[in-house]
This record gives sequence, C-alpha cells and structure tokens, in this order.
Amino acid sequence: MIVDQIFRFDDVSLQVNGKQLLNALSFTVNKGEFLTVLGASGAGKSSLLRMFNALSSPSNGSIQFRGSPIESDIQSLRQNVGILFQNPVVFQGSIKENLMIAGRWNNSISHLLDHELRSILNQVGLEEFNLGKNAKDLSGGEQQRLALACTLLNHPQVLLLDEPTSNLDSKLARAIMDLVDKLRRELDLTIIVVSHDHLLMREYAQRVILLSNGEIVADGPFKVLDEQGAFKKVGLSGREVSHET
Amino acid sequence: MRPDFYVLSWNDVIISLVFVAISVILIKKWKLGLENTLLIGTLRTFVQLTVMGYVLTWFFDQQHWAFMLGLLLIMILIASYEGTRRQKNEIPHFFSSMLISLLGSAIFILGTILLFILDVKPWYSPYAAIPIGGMIIGNGLNSTSLTANRFVAELKHREKEIETLLSLGASPKQAVFDSMKASMHAALIPNINSLMTVGLVQLPGVMTGQILAGIDPLIAVRYQIMIMYMWFTTATMANMIMLAIVYRQFFTKKQQLRRELLRENFRSASLH
Ligand SMILES: Nc1ncnc2c1ncn2[C@@H]1O[C@H](COP(=O)(O)OP(=O)(O)O)[C@@H](O)[C@H]1O
Ligand SMILES: [Mg+2]
Repeated sequence: MIVDQIFRFDDVSLQVNGKQLLNALSFTVNKGEFLTVLGASGAGKSSLLRMFNALSSPSNGSIQFRGSPIESDIQSLRQNVGILFQNPVVFQGSIKENLMIAGRWNNSISHLLDHELRSILNQVGLEEFNLGKNAKDLSGGEQQRLALACTLLNHPQVLLLDEPTSNLDSKLARAIMDLVDKLRRELDLTIIVVSHDHLLMREYAQRVILLSNGEIVADGPFKVLDEQGAFKKVGLSGREVSHET
Repeated sequence: MRPDFYVLSWNDVIISLVFVAISVILIKKWKLGLENTLLIGTLRTFVQLTVMGYVLTWFFDQQHWAFMLGLLLIMILIASYEGTRRQKNEIPHFFSSMLISLLGSAIFILGTILLFILDVKPWYSPYAAIPIGGMIIGNGLNSTSLTANRFVAELKHREKEIETLLSLGASPKQAVFDSMKASMHAALIPNINSLMTVGLVQLPGVMTGQILAGIDPLIAVRYQIMIMYMWFTTATMANMIMLAIVYRQFFTKKQQLRRELLRENFRSASLH
C-alpha cells in the first residue's frame, strides 16, 4: 500500500434512473494534494464529490479511503472527510448552536469552551461576530464560512468543496479560496474543489481532473492540460467561463 | 324525571327520513344536481349500518376470545391499508409500519383498559373490546397517517440539513431527529388542545350516545375522561412506533439519504 494515497477510485460508475451520470472513473488522490474537478454545468461534478464522503455510492466499481473500502466505517469517514456544500445551510439558532451541532453525538465538540469556539471563528475570518448572534442573520458568504467552521471542528484530513465561489463576487471568491489554501497549509489538509471557474482555480490547485458528460477527459497539472488544449475541448476556454450555464 | 331509555323504533328511523326530504327539496331549489347522489348515500347509510348491526349482534353472541381478537386484527389490517392509501408520497413498507404501530399500541392500551381499568369479565367480552378497540384503532389511524405525511414533508424541507448532519458524522436517526420531533409536535398538539377544551363547546360523541341511552351523566363523564386519556396515549405511542420504523426507510444501509423518495408526489394523482 502506498502510504500517502488517500483515495483510490477503480472503474467507478454511477447510474440514476437509468441515466449514466458518471462513467468508469479511475484515479487516485494523494495526501496533501490541492485537486480541482472542473467541468461544465451538468458534467457530474457534484455527483462525483458526494462519493468522497459516501453520501452516495457507485453503482459499479470501488472506492478506497486510506487503503480500506470507503464504506467500512462511514461515520468516521465523514468526520475525516468534511464537505462544504454549494450554498451551505446554517441551522436555526445562534452561531454557537451551529458550531455545537455535532456535539449532539460527538463529546469532544459538546465539551468545547467559548474561547475555543471563538478561535475557530477566528480561523475562518468570522472573529467580529458574537457567539450569540443568530446564524440566519449572517450574509451568504458569512454563512458559508460558518458552515466551514462546523466541519473544521471535526478535525478533518480532507476538505471537499462544491462550487465554493459560485455565489460570491470576484473579491470574495478570491478571499474564500485564499482561506482554503491557508487552512490547507495550517491543518495539513487534502483539498478537493469542484468548480467551473478554471481561471480562478489555476491560481490555487496543483492538479485538475477535467470532467465532461460523466467521463474524465483529462487529469494532470494545468500546464499539461493547457498544452493538450484540453479546456477548449470541453468548452471551458476563454475568459468568461463562469458564464457557462 | 329522567327517562330510563329512549328506544328508537324502525318507525322512528323512517320518520327521520323527513330530514333527507327537506334536504332534497332545498337542493332541488338551488339546482345543485346532487339529489341522486344524496338518495344513494341515504340508502347506503341505511343498508350498511343495518347489516353492521346484524353482524355485530351475531358477533357479540360468539363468546370466544379468538373471535374478538380476529375482528380487532381485521380492523387493524383495514386501518393499515387505509393509512397507506392516504400517504401523499410513497414510503417503503408503510403498510407493515402502520400494522406494527397500531398492533403495538392497541395491545398495550386495550389490554390495560380491559384488564385493569374496566376489569371486564371475561376479558374478551366483545361488548367492551370491540367499541374501545375500534376507537383506539380509528384514532391511531387518523393520527399516524397525518404524522407520516408531515414527517415526509419535514424531510423534503430539511433535505439539505439532513445531509449536512450526516456529513458531520451523524447517524441517520440523529440526522432526522429534528424532523421526527417536529412531526410529533404536530401530532400531539391537537390532542392536547382537545384535552383543554373538551366539554366546553360540544359533548363528545361517546358521552352523548351514553346519555341518550339513559346512562347517568356522571358515569358517562367517567368513561369520557378515560377515553380522552386513552386517545392521547394512542396518538403518542402509535406515532412514536410508526416514526421509529418509518425513518429507517429513508436511508440506505450505507447511511445515505434516499433522496429519490423525496422527489415527487408521484402518488398524489391516485388520491381524491
Ligand atoms: N438524482 C438524479 N436523478 C437524475 N439525474 C440527476 C440526478 N442528480 C443529478 N442528475 C443529473 O446528472 C447530471 C450531473 O449532475 P451534477 O453532478 O449535479 O453536475 P454538476 O455538478 O457538474 O453541474 C446532470 O445532468 C443532472 O441533471
Ligand atoms: Mg454541481
């Protein structure tokens, strides 16, 4: 077994209602990588991302997490592999209640003290807010950071992000990506970001998996994919990629 | 001055057809076009209840526990079927879930009443078991079928919250516990409200019937008090058993939310 291999996909396919959403995907992800999955809308990016924390399972093929089948311990997998959904939800209640939500089943979270909660807020750039503030009163971008803080409290090794910049203006988009990159270095995280914005992602990610119609059409560093003209082939060329529908 | 009994003869019943006649005249005057349906309904009420009266008479003569339990089981099966039919969304294994929750609550509540409260001898006397069992099952049916619909609505509404909780390491039960609590609240609040208002506006049907049949109101009241408490417990128990079974149907063995079950009201067309 290769020590630093964190995910291994073997011939993974997904069918839903007779529709082939993902087709024969094989790749590995190494510890500490900053990987981005790019592709046009409807390419199957979100469907793929949900497999990394077993929110859905392949119809065919197998996935390994740290050398064992991904479904061998689902609860600990999900604590190890945090996900930030596209347009994440915050729960009814205060910022503190949101941060403590996993404390219902996780004692190490239910015992957290206020100063520890404030330090996690600090880590995601929400230090200006009171723990008692109602979470639903935060802006979209602030709610996203709060949701990120909730997953960080599980001390994940991997962070999955689904289109984290899709609802942000370009300044905030860069700010959240800077934050993700900072967390990766500070917490030694493996990052997998789904996006359709290859111009922004090339400033952060080391590796791209390019998805089109549920298939991997290219996998490698941006430089190599540029030389192959891979982005053009899937309709991600030009500067206005984020206007793709 | 209190009469012992108001016995209703068949002649009296036929006189009550005056009510139907009045309705027919009024309906015709407004040209509602409902006379024929009303006449059919009138006839059916007469036939169905008369037949039921003979069936019950025959039945009550069969002093055997197996008959009593058999009839209760048939009532529970019919209630489970009806409850399944009332679901707006498909819930896998809902019929069995209803069956288990109605069976469980009926056995417990009816058993307690027959053995310890009314102290019926013999315990299987159908005069007590069938009407009380019928109330438990009917009330359980109404309550659980509403609660199940409400629960699915909660799951649809909270789909994203539930997947977020799963992603944070929650078990399926932990992830839907808020939805279960919200549907239990919705189920129990009307029951608590009726505990608050009973007797203030309207006398409950059972009590009315007993008083008309010549029973001392103070005795009728005691029955009604027991029935109110029984109803509340039925709603609590049947709903909790039902939800404890039903929530599991919305997850795979791999603790994944079965989102496809939350997508469509694909059975709404079959409901009238
Ligand atoms: N549950 C589902 N049933 C049927 N089709 C689905 C389902 N989920 C997603 N799809 C379809 O699969 C394709 C890929 O979806 P998705 O993974 O969300 O793409 P992306 O995130 O790349 O935009 C889309 O065409 C979408 O309509
Ligand atoms: Mg998507």
